[in-house]
Amino acid sequence: MSKKLSFGIWSSVKMSVILIALTAATILVGAWCPQEGQVGKEKVFETLGKDNGQLVINLGLADTFHSPWFLFLIAMLSLSMLAASFERVFPRLMTLKNKMPLLGLNEIAKLPFNKKIEIDSSSDSSTESGGTAISAIDDVEAKLKKKGFNIIREGNKFTGEQGLIGRLAPSVTHVGLLSLLVGVTITSWTGFNGFQPVKLGECLSFEDSKHSNLWMGSLPKWQARVVETRRENHPTGEPKQWYTTLNIEDKFGKVIKTGELSVNNPLTYDGVDIYQSSWGIDSIALKFNGQKQQIPVNPMGKRFAAFLPLDQDSVMIFSVMDQKSDLRIFAKRGDWEAPKILTEIKPGNEATLGGVKLTYEGIVPRTGLQYKRDPGIFVVYTAFGFIMLGVMLAFIPHRHVWVCEEVDGKRKYLAIGGRSPKAKIAFERMVLKILEPYELQEAKLQAQRETEKVFDSPKDDHKREEICQTSK
Amino acid sequence: MSDLQVALTNTAGVTSILSFWIFVASNAFKNWKPKILGSAFFVLLIGFIALTCAIVARGIEAQRFPLSNLYESLLWFAWAIMGAYLWLAATLNHAGVWHLGWLASLTAASFFLYGSWLPQSQHDIQPLVPALVSYWRQIHVPPLIVSYAMFFLSGLSGLVQLWWAGRRVSVFGLIATIVLACTAIALGTFSQVAVYYLQALFVGGSILGVIFSWLSLKKVKTQAINASREELYDDISYRCISVGFPLLTIGIITGGLWANHAWGSYWSWDPKESMALVTWLSYAAYIHLRIHREIASDKLAVVSCIGLLLTLLTYLGFNTLGFGGLHSYGQLK
Ligand code: HEM
Repeated sequence: MSKKLSFGIWSSVKMSVILIALTAATILVGAWCPQEGQVGKEKVFETLGKDNGQLVINLGLADTFHSPWFLFLIAMLSLSMLAASFERVFPRLMTLKNKMPLLGLNEIAKLPFNKKIEIDSSSDSSTESGGTAISAIDDVEAKLKKKGFNIIREGNKFTGEQGLIGRLAPSVTHVGLLSLLVGVTITSWTGFNGFQPVKLGECLSFEDSKHSNLWMGSLPKWQARVVETRRENHPTGEPKQWYTTLNIEDKFGKVIKTGELSVNNPLTYDGVDIYQSSWGIDSIALKFNGQKQQIPVNPMGKRFAAFLPLDQDSVMIFSVMDQKSDLRIFAKRGDWEAPKILTEIKPGNEATLGGVKLTYEGIVPRTGLQYKRDPGIFVVYTAFGFIMLGVMLAFIPHRHVWVCEEVDGKRKYLAIGGRSPKAKIAFERMVLKILEPYELQEAKLQAQRETEKVFDSPKDDHKREEICQTSK
Repeated sequence: MSDLQVALTNTAGVTSILSFWIFVASNAFKNWKPKILGSAFFVLLIGFIALTCAIVARGIEAQRFPLSNLYESLLWFAWAIMGAYLWLAATLNHAGVWHLGWLASLTAASFFLYGSWLPQSQHDIQPLVPALVSYWRQIHVPPLIVSYAMFFLSGLSGLVQLWWAGRRVSVFGLIATIVLACTAIALGTFSQVAVYYLQALFVGGSILGVIFSWLSLKKVKTQAINASREELYDDISYRCISVGFPLLTIGIITGGLWANHAWGSYWSWDPKESMALVTWLSYAAYIHLRIHREIASDKLAVVSCIGLLLTLLTYLGFNTLGFGGLHSYGQLK
């Protein structure tokens, strides 16, 4: 005999609901309130105003998901789930194999849903199926079997079960949720991640990566150099895809691997995944009368532009879209309504503007790279699998039936009872459908008996007449 | 948009309104009721088929999976509502299911209207931003939209259940709450009212409305109780959740897989992501409450309506009420 574990209220379903509700409410607050870690302090102030913003930050609401309260809730949720699993969920797995008792007429009558029908005891045949007569209980058994019930029968009693596999649901789901926490912990203690915009020709370095306080991991010894990066457009000019080619170099600068990445197609090396997450133009490379110069540009709508003041009143504007597009040069004066285009130069070409020979060498792109090493990912993905499987199993309705055929007094009855806690109506409807022929038969039997009774008692002429009349 | 697509979408919209009125009209003709209800089912079926074709046509025209902006997601939502109701009515084959039928038609019709009022840029087929060009999009988004639709039906079914449980005051309270929430969303989409008022309207209204309805569960109109209908709608409500919950789980997790694949992090506490998690947890609470029938079924019905409000907040509220975040397909600009 095994000792029964008990954690009292901590493992109760009530506790689970309270904890789940508190967690949900906390996450709701975190979803509503701009999170400082994601959008920056400025944005928090911008959205909520200076005073409210500061209040929210002081209250910890702008960092909800790292707040001690949230971590406390997650810890409680895990402990409670663990307790419930050992006390109530896993032990149930043991009972899966237990045989269910068979029930008689009186016991079936006590089930939450039950039906008792009188059957014809004179001839043991109840319904005609395929020409041969079979008894009621055999017929019901066959029908339930057809519906996937697992039947255990002894004499004129049987019990059936369907959807037994659904009872694995809580175990599978909870194991999944607990392993998710394990996976996340592994990652947080040994992994790292970060984002860095890198100019063409420069290297992605991991120095600024983020990791948790309790970190036990290490950073890579190699580096990744951007050797090419470009943008592809839809015909309308909207960006379609961004590409970057990286050289992985060891600490002496020797190339170990080359690879291309784009949005949704990361590059992996040594357990580090590198992702394309944004793309922009850092500057444009120009030559003024043969003298090289790089002018930084900023995003402006779909394009990137630089403003070069010429004097008090006029500016020159350089505008490009991507590596292939022409460089457009405009001039704008205070009294002009709109900038005037001066010229357009193809990459690699030149033009003369006011006596200056201007060569447009091309753009210097900047690729936004996201990177991470996630050692717990395998556990996390396995957990995802368990959770998905578990919640799907949870909705397989689990159904029990008990059936018996017994003589009570002089008459013979078929009794059927059962339960289906999850899908009650459909279950009851199924049972009633199976019983339909027997209910008709019972009605007939009763009518017959009524008639017999009347004809057997000649004193009651009045009633006999009535019956004769209605039957006409 | 091609003419065919417009015609098909309009057919779906019109049939959803028509079936609503047929459901309503059936009350006036006691003798003809079963026939009239049958025709409402049929009309809705035509709408469902038309909408299916419209979505397919849009996909062919755009040469991509047709689920990438708010307008398209509304079409999917209406599609799922119609389909799920037809499925319930066909499998339960129960005359009483029509109480949900007119609500489902009304919901689908409202979503069509909402969609048709969106700016033209939403109706036009536009190229995708790089982040959305991925086969993951069709794995991640449809389960979510369908799960939202199932949760909606579940909440509506909860309303009908409460009605037949004689909890009329609660029903009116919840209807008012849902209408208020929808008003906030409509204002957020089509007007310039400051988002903070709308957030307050949605959240404040929901909290007060739900508390009011919960407390008024005690007010029972005993002569209005119909236990078998109450049970039927309790069952339907759960059935919808039992389809919606796994779908939401799959949607959230595949979203995580996509995010991890695309930019290296399966979870970033993005507002919409977090909100979906809140909704998920609320339904996890629901199923735990249901395990051993921990609470009475009328209270569970209120929980399913809370779920509906959270679903609305996740699906439309976050973008229209200005909560921000990455998930731009729900956004207008
Ligand atoms: C505080 C933490 C939790 C506790 C104490 C807890 C406890 C329980 C218990 C006692 C059961 C019933 C097992 C049975 O009767 O066989 C159960 C079932 C279940 N739990 Fe949890 N649980 C917790 C958190 C969660 C969470 C966060 C989820 C997320 C979805 C979850 C999903 C499920 C599922 C799917 C079932 C199966 C329900 C069914 O079969 O209808 N649990 N839980």
